[in-house]
Amino acid sequence: MPRISILIAESTCLIRKGLSSVIQKLGNVEILQSVSNKAELCDIVNRLKPDILIANPNMFDSDYEDLKKPFVAANKMSLVLISEDKSIEDTYNADAFIHYKDNQSKILEIIEEIVNQKTEKKRINKSNETLSSREQNILKHIALGLTNKEIADQLFISIHTVVTHRKNITQKLGIKSVSGLTVYAILNNLINMDEVK
Amino acid sequence: MHIKKSMKMADVIQMNYMLIPVIHRFGIELGFGDKTVDQVCEENEVDLNFFLQLVNAYHDQDYFPKEELQSIPVREIIAYLKMTHASYLNNTVTDIEQKIKSLELEGNEDKKYIALIRNFFEGYKSELTEHIMREEDVVFPYVLAVDEIIKSEQFTDKNKKVFESFSIEEYEEEHDDVEEKLMDLRTIMIKYVAPPANTNLYHSIIQDLFRLEEDLNYHSRIEDKVLIPKIILMEKSIKNLF
Repeated sequence: MPRISILIAESTCLIRKGLSSVIQKLGNVEILQSVSNKAELCDIVNRLKPDILIANPNMFDSDYEDLKKPFVAANKMSLVLISEDKSIEDTYNADAFIHYKDNQSKILEIIEEIVNQKTEKKRINKSNETLSSREQNILKHIALGLTNKEIADQLFISIHTVVTHRKNITQKLGIKSVSGLTVYAILNNLINMDEVK
Repeated sequence: MHIKKSMKMADVIQMNYMLIPVIHRFGIELGFGDKTVDQVCEENEVDLNFFLQLVNAYHDQDYFPKEELQSIPVREIIAYLKMTHASYLNNTVTDIEQKIKSLELEGNEDKKYIALIRNFFEGYKSELTEHIMREEDVVFPYVLAVDEIIKSEQFTDKNKKVFESFSIEEYEEEHDDVEEKLMDLRTIMIKYVAPPANTNLYHSIIQDLFRLEEDLNYHSRIEDKVLIPKIILMEKSIKNLF
């Protein structure tokens, strides 16, 4: 499974170190670095591209919303806000919130949830990378139960090309049977379960 | 090392635990103390020669009995293969299916994936059942008819009809792709599905799939190396007879 990288941005040293040691208890994650000011934060995000950013909103001063879009969204990060102030949940918009008073298991629960979402996304993206988009398209048609001839007609290519693609797909995935390929296609969201006959 | 009649049955099993279901199909139960293969076979009225050929073919991929093979009665082979079929369908496959179902019942967010796996396995099961039924309804009766013709050296109306309706060559051709699905399922479970919360059960299903595959390979080896060559020879001698 791909490891999930986390960046902690919080100005208090004790909190930074403490949170980092709590999060280490989750397997499968990697704390990239913890940062204590905004300039450093921007720099590290751009360089290391973390999957999750855990930040204290007081680091952003007043330009939180300005920052969020180009920064968090553009880097496809999940954002977790941490604060001693309970009211941040009403003031800000984020994927999750941690409070200073939360106990260890609560914190782990929150982070784990986000990590799982990320892992799931990575898994889907990654396995799709192994097939070219043409192959994915062909696989989709195979999974829908079309014959080689039907696929060739629909995509305006020769049967021979379809056969070659099929061979490559089978070789890449290690799956031979049509029903096996169908399961793969559903697992990877190439088709919907209801579309299958 | 080949298994011999003077060996202790307990040592044979220690050597290869995959033989446990095999001896079970012969009606031999564990707990044989220090008895030899010879003694255990006699007690359970199992044909010693057939037993030895069979466990050796299971145990060693390259074991290929030639002369011994010819002396094994066709009826014994067929009876054994039928027992094996029944144990696949009634025990092994059903057990795996049950495990998948209980995994599905436990599941929450993984439920969708497990349902996919269950559907897939059910598809496999019906394909396997169909394959087995064809063997039992077409191939085995044919084999027994061939055996009868050779023994009595004459055609009756009934066995002539069976004999002409089929040939073992046909069987050889259709005899390989049932296992493809099984391999796909294991690949999917290993490579493409994140395991559900109950990893123990999930792992045990994968291990069961490996074992079933191995056992089926043994099984086809008996069919391919013992039954088919024997029938090909018999078909030839029938052609020479008449």
